Amino acid sequence: MIQAPPAKVAASIARLFGPHARVDTLHVDSAAVLRISAGDSLLGFAQVGSVIGKDQPITFLVAIDPANRLKDVDILVYREPYGGEVAYEAWRKQFRGKAAADPLQVGRDIRSISGATISVHAVTAGVRRMLTELTAWHESGAIR
Amino acid sequence: MSRALARGAVVALLASVATLRPGRAAAQERTTVGGYGEVHYTNRTGPDTPGTVDLKRFVVYLAHTFNDQIAFRSELEVEDAKLEGAQPGGEVALEQAYLDYRLSDALTLRSGLILPPVGVINETHEPPTFNGVDRPAFDNDVIPTTWREIGVGAVGRAPGVEGVSYRVYLVNGLRSAGFSAADGIRGGRQEGREASFANPSFTGRLEWARPGLKLGGSFWYGGTADADPALGKGAFAAPITLLSADARYDVGAFLFRAVAASIWVSDAEAINTRYAAAVGSRIAGGYLEAAYNLLHALAPASSQTLNAFVRHERYDTQAAVPAGTARDETLARRITTFGLSYKPTYNTAFKGDYQLLRNKAGSGEADVLSLGIAYQF
Repeated sequence: MIQAPPAKVAASIARLFGPHARVDTLHVDSAAVLRISAGDSLLGFAQVGSVIGKDQPITFLVAIDPANRLKDVDILVYREPYGGEVAYEAWRKQFRGKAAADPLQVGRDIRSISGATISVHAVTAGVRRMLTELTAWHESGAIR
Repeated sequence: MSRALARGAVVALLASVATLRPGRAAAQERTTVGGYGEVHYTNRTGPDTPGTVDLKRFVVYLAHTFNDQIAFRSELEVEDAKLEGAQPGGEVALEQAYLDYRLSDALTLRSGLILPPVGVINETHEPPTFNGVDRPAFDNDVIPTTWREIGVGAVGRAPGVEGVSYRVYLVNGLRSAGFSAADGIRGGRQEGREASFANPSFTGRLEWARPGLKLGGSFWYGGTADADPALGKGAFAAPITLLSADARYDVGAFLFRAVAASIWVSDAEAINTRYAAAVGSRIAGGYLEAAYNLLHALAPASSQTLNAFVRHERYDTQAAVPAGTARDETLARRITTFGLSYKPTYNTAFKGDYQLLRNKAGSGEADVLSLGIAYQF
């Protein structure tokens, strides 16, 4: 199990939901989902995951809003010798606003980066899977 | 400095490095295996030129992660399927073997047998990543791909400037004894085999990336004399300077590539006198490539691609010659390649292409039909 540095997760949540957002950890199946709220209102959910690039795990965070729209993707730890371009905001922002019904496919609605092909495909597949899971859990009431 | 003091300084340095990222979870030690390969069918026009098939490359990628900061990476290659004594072709070689010491996103220290970061193909040479069965001829005759030498350096992403990354290395130099008229500096590579360090050389690259776009510029500078008194004993004796620029742009169904390089061989006259060669004093050229993914329109929901492409290469390994060297106009090459690359997944490819091999002299020209399969994982 690849761990994400807690400080990086906290910084990512604060950037996406504001510095005073409250974070609770929910457990669904074997996954840990972060529930983010302020007062009585739900701000969204986030999950940390990792995919293997060429040979190293790429640890990232996916956050959705209460309408199951993707808020943002954050690359928390990148360890590969090449392909670090997936951490650039210009690439990550392509995911904002996506829903589980969107294709999230490299070459279609996600543009690739030359020389970073493996990481681009790995992260895109990981985000697609996580967005699908979070949406399904939220719609079924497993997280709320 | 006493040895004990030096050791103390090293320990202090390591301790400060270790505390750069406190509180992080330790990564598990693990080994990973990958690889890439390609099989080619080649048929050249002309009498008595039957087609050939070749297991061109079989490469095993082996990496080991020691902890979050230190990783080893290597590529071991077999060319042409087998090696047999006294027969041409065939090679077993290490293409890369280095240790990375990662300090931050901005700085990883790299040492070992590394790839000079010149042009597009030298570092990203896995065959599903480029169109055409074989690598562009430019990436053989001008940029001597797969170029690898032993050295140390640093790589990373420029902090605070999104999109910019760099690599810079100090490596062993080329040996001008191996330079040639037709292959330029290619025969001067030492490839990690008991290499002479008489001419430490610098190489590096700056890149700027956005989704769909990557621009890069690379350089190499270093002597090539290898302490030969006829060429000079200095570290930078008989220097070469290489500059190259490249662009890759994907938009919609279109993919474009452009690469250009120029190499200045400062003491080509002395090198040619010393080794009875006809090395150009300047080696230059480049290529333009455009591809269109036919499945973008035919099967918009598909994750597969079918690229129709055309590439035009123009280069001359004797773009300029020194006094006393006659110019061979067959070396001013113009190669046009057109073909198809079918990629059922992004890391597998079935390719076919047709090449028009032309030159300024108009002699020895031919057409070549090639088919190939390629994979990486």
